[in-house]
Amino acid sequence: MNTLREVFDPNFLLRNSVYISVVFGLTCPLVGVYLVLRRLVFMGVALPQISSCGIAFAFALQGWGLLPHAHETPGEHTLAFLGSTFFTLAAILLFSLLARRGCGSVEARLGTAYALAWAWSVLLLVKNPIGEHGLLDLQKGEIIAISNFELAMTAGAFSLVAAALFVFRKEFLLVSFDPDMAISLKKNVLGWDAALFLLIGLTISISVLSAGPLVTLGFLLFPPLTAHLFARTMRQFALLASALGGVTALAGFCLAYRWDLPVGATDVALLGAIYALAALARNTLARGHISIFGHANQARRG
Amino acid sequence: MDNHSDTLLSLEGLAVGYGRQAVLEDVNLRFPRCSFSGLLGANGSGKSTLIRTLLGILPPLAGRIAFVPTNGGDPVLGYAPQRESLDPIFLLSSFEVVLMGVCGRVGPGRFIDKRERAWAHQCLEQTGAADLSGKQFSELSGGQKQRVLIARALATKPDFLLLDEPTSGIDVAVKQSIMELLRRIHQEQRQTILMASHDLPAVRRYIGHVIWLHQGKVLEGPTHELLAPDRIEAILDF
Repeated sequence: MNTLREVFDPNFLLRNSVYISVVFGLTCPLVGVYLVLRRLVFMGVALPQISSCGIAFAFALQGWGLLPHAHETPGEHTLAFLGSTFFTLAAILLFSLLARRGCGSVEARLGTAYALAWAWSVLLLVKNPIGEHGLLDLQKGEIIAISNFELAMTAGAFSLVAAALFVFRKEFLLVSFDPDMAISLKKNVLGWDAALFLLIGLTISISVLSAGPLVTLGFLLFPPLTAHLFARTMRQFALLASALGGVTALAGFCLAYRWDLPVGATDVALLGAIYALAALARNTLARGHISIFGHANQARRG
Repeated sequence: MDNHSDTLLSLEGLAVGYGRQAVLEDVNLRFPRCSFSGLLGANGSGKSTLIRTLLGILPPLAGRIAFVPTNGGDPVLGYAPQRESLDPIFLLSSFEVVLMGVCGRVGPGRFIDKRERAWAHQCLEQTGAADLSGKQFSELSGGQKQRVLIARALATKPDFLLLDEPTSGIDVAVKQSIMELLRRIHQEQRQTILMASHDLPAVRRYIGHVIWLHQGKVLEGPTHELLAPDRIEAILDF
């Protein structure tokens, strides 16, 4: 309780980190819901790493003297955002084109992209004296140095993403559930898919920029996977995933602060533990349900 | 088929398939309004490919699909897909699935109003699935899912109802009840229906016109003529 009071103190030095963690926790699962529904969990694994590679590439361009140095934070931030967004959206476009042409399996494509993105992130980092320090922290998931500018940008962009997902939920759900039906209703399926993937790409780029690929991956996948075990409706699914993400982000931050651990890794470990416990509880409940009915049937027969 | 002035849809020299590979070529057919046609043939004969082309999901490889405008506008197509194509991971109630049928009349970002919701309920009632409204679609039996999907197709207020294998994988009694439902919709609402099926015994009593796909060829005619025992033998031999 004391830790909670401390992290919410207006004078707390890392307050922006707390706020941004909660914003991630609330928003990333809303996007992750669509990755789970469209069975694109592997994409949720690969894209944050590709986005991270984009940031490393943007800084490498500076290191190689191909781009002027941006000494002030907003300039660096913009450069990293452009690199991250460009790589993420280009990867989504490439995956879509390859899927359309039926080149190889989805798992092979995403696995290859993930491994290559990771390798290139490391290679670009070790040879880049400018971006190396900050980016290595990012890879580890350290959510510490969050400026007011970063917080405002992230909160603003995530609000837009959440609003778009809410306003156009009918269209996103229709093209995800039954694209053939959507075409027969004269809906622009390609356009709605592009809009959805643009929102997914934007969320991933911004998340990776502030918290790194590990945290992004954790919040994209674990809360929706956990929520799906208990939700009965799509509304429950989205709200439960988002609430779980927000609460875990706060709890993870408090634990990390109290025991001096990296925030990102703590968040993801906590999300994983919650998922495992939830799956166990769900299985136990399901077995209990069956045995209750089994006993009832036996009693009726008796 | 019957008289030209009453045609809802005509296919002229149509070739359908995937990529550059044609499954059916030179298909020439006309569908009169209020007809109940069965698109018959073995698995892989091109039934679903033809339906998907009519719906605009697949582009035609050659030829022309001409819908005769209804009330000055493009005809609305109601579609009931094969139920296995819908992923059970979606946590949708039967009512929410039917509600998707009204989306063609509701603009992007707009809420579905009370009138459209009432219409979706009415469609569930028409197909005898009103009691399934609150149940999860993924947990329904094959026959129940089919009723919900037909309700969804009706919710579009269609000029032409296209059904892909609505009787496959369900037991005989349920098959019969689905076919009775379609006959009632056809007769009471004067609905034009095209239904793909590989199950000749289940559908022959209900359809008025047969389109038979066999080894890339298209044969058509009134049910009583085309499905006469001697004609069937000849068809299967050619």
